[in-house]
This record gives sequence, C-alpha cells and structure tokens, in this order.
Amino acid sequence: MAAAAAAAAAGSGTPREEEGPGGEAVAPPPQAPTGAPGARLSRLPLARVKALVKADPDVTLAGQEAIFILARAAELFVETIAKDAYCCAQQGKRKTLQRRDLDNAIEAVDEFAFLEGTLD
Amino acid sequence: MAERPEDLNLPNAVITRIIKEALPDGVNISKEARSAISRAASVFVLYATSCANNFAMKGKRKTLNASDVLSAMEEMEFQRFVTPLKEALEAYRREQKGKKEASEQKKKDKDKKTDSEEPDKSRDEDNDEDEERLEEEEQNEEEEVDN
Repeated sequence: MAAAAAAAAAGSGTPREEEGPGGEAVAPPPQAPTGAPGARLSRLPLARVKALVKADPDVTLAGQEAIFILARAAELFVETIAKDAYCCAQQGKRKTLQRRDLDNAIEAVDEFAFLEGTLD
Repeated sequence: MAERPEDLNLPNAVITRIIKEALPDGVNISKEARSAISRAASVFVLYATSCANNFAMKGKRKTLNASDVLSAMEEMEFQRFVTPLKEALEAYRREQKGKKEASEQKKKDKDKKTDSEEPDKSRDEDNDEDEERLEEEEQNEEEEVDN
C-alpha cells in the first residue's frame, strides 16, 4: 500500500508503458520531465531531428531552439495528417487507417502537396 | 555514414503514440500507414529545414534560429502551427534557463569544495556538454574562463 503510493508519487519520472512492442526505443524519450507531469515539451528525440537537419547540405548550423521547434512542428504535423487521413477512413466506415487513406489525404489537402511522390 | 535523408526516420514508438493520441479511441492504424506517416514526418522536417534555411540566408545568417522555422511554417501554409509553436518555445526557453541556473549552482558548489584545485578538468567536462549543443551559446564558455 505504501509502496503503491510511493510508486504513484514517483510516477512523473518514468511512465509505465504497457505497450511497447515496437522494440527499438522502449525507454521513454530523453527529455526528462522536470517535476510536473505532462510538462514534457517534445516527445521526438532532438538528436534525430538534428540528424535530419544536418542532412541538408545547404545548412551550416542550426540553433538548439530551431531544432526544438522543428521537433514540435513535426509532432503537430503527425497529428494533423493522422486526423485528416482518419476522415477518409471514416467515410469508408473503417476503423483502421490504411495507407490509401494517407494517399487520399495528401491528394486532397493542399498543404500536403509537398509529400506527393516522396513516400514510395 | 552515407545515410540518405529519407532513411533517417523518427522512432516508431513515438510516432505511433502521437498518432493514437490524435485519433479517437478504438481507431487502429496499419503498419504501412504508420510507416508512411513516419516517412512523411521526416520529409516534413527536411522541407521545413530547407525553407527555414532560405530565411536565414536572406538575413545573412549562417545559423538557423527559431524565427526562421516559424517563418518557414507560414511559407509552407502551416500557419495554424505558429501559435502552438510559439507557446512551446516560451516554455522551452524557461526550461533551458532553469537548467542553466541549476548547473551554475552546481559549479559554485564545486568551487567551494575543491577551492579551484582542478579548474582544467571541470572545464573539460563542461566543454563536452557544450559541444552537444549546437554551438549556439558561446557565452557560456566565456563565463567559465572568467571563473
């Protein structure tokens, strides 16, 4: 009982991930939350985002804030495109998002035009 | 090395979690769709980087900064991201400030203990941390030298 309470109190550090079949990075993202739970600023690891930015030959340097905002923007993008693709799945009365839903969303939404031809 | 930019994917577990939280309960996503979204996110970062870089070059700067990325969002017609990104940036800056103050406090405690016996070693440790950051804050090094 006391142990459970203590575990709950310490819960802000490492959330108990019951899923996690995805294997590769089972550990929580590197951003250690500073106290308040849900205060995590970005779930995507900045190191990976930095690697993507550096892959651009025209880019000389990128500030830490820029990397952070790109990571956050990528999260927002994932949420947005998932929701838009879901609209297509709903119309087909399906509960599982398929690849074609994504393709439809890309075709339908102007903002996703830059993705055309890149996902194959 | 020689990795193609498209191969640099973001971790699947994180992408999946973001997708699941964006969608209603009970909705699933196929493996193909998820990996396509992950790829799309990488392409998005690459495209945004390129746009942001244009703004930096216009400003005759060699370092991408936060406002370059925000300008890129508008250019890419993702204006709706701008406000939440600005809020996230504010929170991030506050957190960084807190971290910096915490590490300075640690250093002060160290100096009290060692009485500046081994200044070089402590500088090396801090230099490693600074290298991980993207060479943005050179002021930190100047402060250490003064100590």
